[in-house]
Amino acid sequence: MKKEITVLTDAALITCVVQRGVADKIIHAAQEVGAQGATVYYARGGGVRERLGVLGLAIEVEKEVITIVVANDQIDRVFEKMYLAGNLDTPGMGIMYVTKLDKVATYIPQEIVDKLAKPVIGASKD
Amino acid sequence: MERKIRFGDFVQQVTVGQQQLSYNALTPEIQKDEEGKDIPYVADHLKVRKIDVYNILQPYISVRFIEQIRAVVPLALYLMLFQILILKQNVTDSWVITGGLFSVIVGLMLFMEGLKVGLMPFGESIGSTLPAKARLRVVMTVAFILGIGVTFAEPAIGALKTAGSIVNIEEAPYLYTLLNDWAGLMVLIVGIGVGLAAVLGTFRFLYGWSLKPLVYLTLIPTVGLTLYISSQPELAKILGLAWDCGAVTTGPVTVPLVLSLGIGIASAAGKGNSSLSGFGIVMLASLFPIIGVQLLALYVSFVTTPEAIIAAGNTIVSNEIAWHQKTPFIETILGIRAIIPLVIFLIVVMMFVLKEQIKNRGAITYGICLCVLGMIVFNVGLSYGLAKLGSQSGSLVPGAFTQLNEVTNSPLFGYATGLVVAIIFAWILGFGATLAEPALNALGLTVENLTNGAFPKSLLMYAVSFGVGTGIALGVLKIIFAIPIAWLLIPGYAIAVILTALSNEEFVNIAWDSAGVTTGPVTVPLVLAMGLGFGNAVGAVEGFGILSMASIGPIISVLATGLWIQWKVNKRHVQERRQQNIVVEG
Repeated sequence: MKKEITVLTDAALITCVVQRGVADKIIHAAQEVGAQGATVYYARGGGVRERLGVLGLAIEVEKEVITIVVANDQIDRVFEKMYLAGNLDTPGMGIMYVTKLDKVATYIPQEIVDKLAKPVIGASKD
Repeated sequence: MERKIRFGDFVQQVTVGQQQLSYNALTPEIQKDEEGKDIPYVADHLKVRKIDVYNILQPYISVRFIEQIRAVVPLALYLMLFQILILKQNVTDSWVITGGLFSVIVGLMLFMEGLKVGLMPFGESIGSTLPAKARLRVVMTVAFILGIGVTFAEPAIGALKTAGSIVNIEEAPYLYTLLNDWAGLMVLIVGIGVGLAAVLGTFRFLYGWSLKPLVYLTLIPTVGLTLYISSQPELAKILGLAWDCGAVTTGPVTVPLVLSLGIGIASAAGKGNSSLSGFGIVMLASLFPIIGVQLLALYVSFVTTPEAIIAAGNTIVSNEIAWHQKTPFIETILGIRAIIPLVIFLIVVMMFVLKEQIKNRGAITYGICLCVLGMIVFNVGLSYGLAKLGSQSGSLVPGAFTQLNEVTNSPLFGYATGLVVAIIFAWILGFGATLAEPALNALGLTVENLTNGAFPKSLLMYAVSFGVGTGIALGVLKIIFAIPIAWLLIPGYAIAVILTALSNEEFVNIAWDSAGVTTGPVTVPLVLAMGLGFGNAVGAVEGFGILSMASIGPIISVLATGLWIQWKVNKRHVQERRQQNIVVEG
């Protein structure tokens, strides 16, 4: 029997770039409104920081990039929560954006698969 | 009457509204000059509102402030509460101490931020470019001078001078003169020790030497000198100080700067055996200064006699304190003298040896100013907060088991109970202060990664804290019963050497460095002052030596834990092999 993969559709990726050390707070806020997981990686970046003059010294060049995969229905809630938790309306605090995803695959509990999954049209089944 | 609301409207109301704006509207138009070429676009300065300034600065400051509060407040609170609840004594000068502690917090906050912004970039770029551009001889000279520079910049070194003023000249003349008349030279010698350690540590990086022979070779002269000095009754009193100097040097400036240089050299030479090459320097940097200070004491004993020191000391006392020795000025001078030479040296190396432009001048100047300012504020807090609090509780704790004038109803407990109370007090102080040290957390993470989880972070943290606690408790016992420090140190190091011989190279590296990590800028002054106050209260000649016990304690405890882990891992391997055999046979 051929192995079958269940792919998730209707998903989006929220990416949020903030100063180092802030990510945990934002992830927590996102998970409170139903985000399932989060990946953080380290990066370096600027932009607004250079335009702030002396105040720019208070902003960390080292960044954390948070990526969270969410369902389409969740996008707005999670996005807002993360925006507010990160105080992104303050200059230099970071930037975030949403990108549509074609498909996502990960571990999905078997009983949920049995209940919800539809065979993909065109995929061969033995 | 029934009202209907669309659920969608409700959701709109409780969530944040979103406006849309095209990014195209924000992008600037690129101007062209006469020849039709693009003029490079330069972004304007942003106009920030007051609330934005607040929003930017508030987290920046509060995060750093809270970091230092975590390092200072629990310790201070523990000392004060012990004094109030167990000893039933009020904290005298509590407002001065509170102010002092506050300025320690502010000073450390400024200093650490300045170090990160202003000095560390230098260290990193020198470390990564110097070995490629200069000969080995030049590199080693830079490493050596850097070692001296960072010692002067170490905040805890000021604590030694503060401690010097408490020593009784009649009882320990050599100790007094070392800490007062020879203080500058002593710090320089400690610095030379650190510089030599930096050079030797770098050679170790380059040639991949094992740490074990280095440990043995360094300990032979250290212990030999200790044995000789302890045979001279007058000189023996400086031993505690000499061994404590080792613990003082390995603080927040020395460790990262010297390490970044060493790692840079090793990786430029392509011999960075990355996993453990970072270790070893800290241990050398805490042993070499001990040799240095012992040699200096020997030299002093050849040039002057105790009688001459006492005579000279008594004449100076009558003099009035000059203006530059008074509070805001002396700290300012000390602060500038600590940082500026190091900065000048780093700039000289950058400009003339590396011939490189200094990037981000603005940020670096800002960092250096913060460093100096932080050092000044910290020095004020050191004498009015940490040293005062430490010596106060140190002088009161003996009231638990002996008769003290300052403590009403003393002894508060029976002799044995009181002694136990004092020892438990010391043990918890060491254990708690170490567990809270942020550097230990970082070391724990590194060690867990290096040993692939065989040495878990929490186990290391508890092993080190246990070692420090036991060490400090032993140090207090040393003061109470006036045990010569050599009797404690020599067996301690003997055990450490035996355990070292039995252990893996990895665990040896970790264990000998764990001692240096634990002695931060808050613990050192507090413990030094506590020891001196304690010593005065019980009538001991000198109260040094607690820190040195706090250094050897974790070495032994971590080595022992390492051996235990090794044994456990081996046993598991044997079992697995046996099981495999059974499977094969079956």
